[in-house]
Amino acid sequence: MDDLLNDFLAETAEILAEAGGALVAWEADPADRGQLDAIFRLVHTIKGSSGFLSLPRVTALSHAAEDALDQVRRGNRPATAALVTGVLGIIDRLSQLCAILGQDGIEPAGDDSDVIAALAVPDEAPGKAIEPAETRLRREDDVVVDMQGWRSIRVPLPLLDSVMTGVTDIVLARNEFARMLRESGANPSLIASFDRLSDSIAGMRQSVSQMRMQRIDKLFAPLPRIVRDLAKDLGKKIRFATSGGEVELDREMMENIRDPLIHIVRNAIDHGIEGLDGRVAAGKDVTATISVSARQSGNQIEIEVRDDGRGLSPDALVQKAISARVLSAADARALTPREKLDLIFRPGFSTAAKVTAISGRGVGMDIVKANVEKIGGVVDLRNDEGRGLSVVLRVPMTLTIISGLMVRAAGQYFAIPRGAVREILLETSDSVRVERLGGGEIVTVRGEQFPLLRLETILGRNRDHRDDVDDRALVLVRPGQGQSYALSVAAIHDHEELVIKPAAPMIMATGLYAGTTLPDNGRPVLLLDVQGILAAAAIDASEAGRQMDQAVEAEAAAAAERNAAQLLLFRDIGGRTRGVRLSVIERVEEVPALALFESGGQIQAQIGDDIFPVHAAALPEDQGTLKLLRLHDGQMVLCYPIDAVIDIVRLPELVQPASAPGLVAGIVIVGGEPVELIDPFWLMEQYARGTAAPAGRAPLCRIADDHDGWGDNFLAPILQSAGYRIASGNTGEAADVLLSLSVDGGANAEEGGVPVIRLRSSVAASGPEDETVYRYDRGALLEALRRSIAGGRP
Amino acid sequence: MMDKLYLVARIADTRVALRSRSIHSVVTVGTPVEVPGAPPHVAGLFALRSRVFTLIDPHVVVGLSSVPVAPGQRVVVVDVADHGYALLADEIEDVCFIDAPETRITGKLLPGWARVADAMIEHQGHSLLVVDPSHFITLPALKAA
Repeated sequence: MDDLLNDFLAETAEILAEAGGALVAWEADPADRGQLDAIFRLVHTIKGSSGFLSLPRVTALSHAAEDALDQVRRGNRPATAALVTGVLGIIDRLSQLCAILGQDGIEPAGDDSDVIAALAVPDEAPGKAIEPAETRLRREDDVVVDMQGWRSIRVPLPLLDSVMTGVTDIVLARNEFARMLRESGANPSLIASFDRLSDSIAGMRQSVSQMRMQRIDKLFAPLPRIVRDLAKDLGKKIRFATSGGEVELDREMMENIRDPLIHIVRNAIDHGIEGLDGRVAAGKDVTATISVSARQSGNQIEIEVRDDGRGLSPDALVQKAISARVLSAADARALTPREKLDLIFRPGFSTAAKVTAISGRGVGMDIVKANVEKIGGVVDLRNDEGRGLSVVLRVPMTLTIISGLMVRAAGQYFAIPRGAVREILLETSDSVRVERLGGGEIVTVRGEQFPLLRLETILGRNRDHRDDVDDRALVLVRPGQGQSYALSVAAIHDHEELVIKPAAPMIMATGLYAGTTLPDNGRPVLLLDVQGILAAAAIDASEAGRQMDQAVEAEAAAAAERNAAQLLLFRDIGGRTRGVRLSVIERVEEVPALALFESGGQIQAQIGDDIFPVHAAALPEDQGTLKLLRLHDGQMVLCYPIDAVIDIVRLPELVQPASAPGLVAGIVIVGGEPVELIDPFWLMEQYARGTAAPAGRAPLCRIADDHDGWGDNFLAPILQSAGYRIASGNTGEAADVLLSLSVDGGANAEEGGVPVIRLRSSVAASGPEDETVYRYDRGALLEALRRSIAGGRP
Repeated sequence: MMDKLYLVARIADTRVALRSRSIHSVVTVGTPVEVPGAPPHVAGLFALRSRVFTLIDPHVVVGLSSVPVAPGQRVVVVDVADHGYALLADEIEDVCFIDAPETRITGKLLPGWARVADAMIEHQGHSLLVVDPSHFITLPALKAA
């Protein structure tokens, strides 16, 4: 019974991890029928096994989830975020139950109606149901598949190792036996039956090799769920992608890097990715990207966690290290930029300004580094301050199988990891042009140039005289992103699945080899370190700038992308979803509510030393902080208070215009929802009046015949707020316009050539020829000023 | 009594005694696979029971010029830090109990030998150097440079 339970727990833990990831993927694409079926099968498996072990709570929970998913499969229920959250809730509860089961051996009593109720169909009519399945459902099939998929036993790793060694020995013995059979001239029937044995041994070797290996997918499976939940908690939008899931890694290694990897991903979400406003302010896509990729590089697996967040700031790290007392100020001055970054690996160092519930679990990057180094791995940081951070884990595969390309040079065989090989060409091929340039060699393949390295030269050997020059082949190698070179070898042999083991330290120290392998012929072969060869040859293999036409194209595409109008979606104070063209937004400000004040019936905001008008009818009621979109038309700034930034999307081409000009220019459909499009022109128009023209260019007015001070006290402030300068006294500077306060004063004569506007005190004009302006008619006065100045400067 | 069990062999033109507990096995090798670019005392790689061993030429380690590997030559297999190595032996004489105590080395040895020899022991009327095979794996820093 205990064995059964243990098997169930181990199996269920795997299933739950996989189901979490599959659910999140399905949520992103509810039409993905395959994902849904997979999730259904997983839940069904748990239900089946738990019923067998009489675990009523587990059975009830898995039954509820299975039931809900089945309704979706039959098209009776839409796939909603609520449903996914509900099923995830069930999965969490199952994990808790399994943890207790593992400790106590019995299922604890308890009530699960809360999580089961969360799955109940909501009363509202189904909105947008997903496409009903077109194929008839055959549940029996699903069940059969699932039983086969999950039937497994657990075997201790040392046993697997000894099986592996044993099988490899059998292979070597077979090879020797085969050679002896050939030499002895045995009869054909004996050879035929030996060949059958030989084939089954090859098959067996293949299976055994795979036993210890697991696709790194397994390691990635729980990550989407973690990202989803954490992003939700923190109110961040994150696109999560994994790649290289087909890379295989030793199970034991996988166990050792699981926690470090999860920690790094959490860190990226919590500390690396900025908040929505921060991203808008930084001019980034609101939706952040975190990608986890695995890559095989010789004897090592490289796992990279990359985010496009704020990256690390070396100086901020130093400040924090000093305040956390892990570094003295004197030591800090001596640090190189690299060493500053490495501060995050110091024990007791936390990059978070405050310890959050998410990352502040007492596990720091120092533990991550220690765990990875324990298994012979390396943690590397690639920082791009302000634009993102990559954390790279490089771990050895110890016992691993890669697809290798066997090549020959200097009379012996070498292996090149197939993953790093881009193309194989004959050196005599028409599309290849080899040239000697200043002692080095380059090769041009279909217009693309590569540095050419000859393997014999790198290894310090002479060419084998038996090698045919016509056989020489070029292997285009891409050791890493953005790098490539051509490796010339005497001949290409074949492809083989190779078991790679580390070579002795003094051989690894040459930097030319990534390990050794033992192919079927029993003679060891060295695996070339394609990156190390590059270092040994000391060439720049960077692809940048090699292909001019492609670079130009990429630039054009990027420019086109930049020119596409983008829409900033936000929730305004009233809770409505609205959008405004991103290009008119200068930035998003977060200000305390106290920075807003009312003046002259208009709300203003003080930001720093500047005062900007705010588009709001009343002051905000609650204290605290307020988010303001800063709209900028090139001259003035207007603040628009919002509740939150939602997203940045491409502006749809189809806009339903509003019937009358106003705040809302029209309606667009974004993601199936109507969004009110703010009209920045109208908004600016409301507040643009009375804005002072930029200083320096402001026209100068002189007020003449001001006998009672009305000009200084009443007229001047209006003119100043309308953007004019007032000449007081004798400044010597020529005025652009003269305002005469007496209808028939003599000012005209003394200021020849300057337009004159005469103001009268009476409301009514004296006649049709009267060009004077009533002194309290603000509109007419400003209009006259504008006309005079325009006329004065043709 | 395992402590008193020694392998007597001729390594780098010198008769030596190797403590048996430091030795994995004695086997014969075919043609090894060369390792271009490796330090000079690495004579190549060979496979044994699905493991790859690194072949070490003791001649180079003690300061002599290297000697080509003859097919069927016997080697002393040792494990150092989880890696398998094999020391090329000119001749394997015997495995035997030597009751005599290990004594301090008297006389001046060549620098190469002084680094690998631990002690001396008296066997059948001859003095043998007691060497530690793991010392053959690394080259002296001067030579490696």
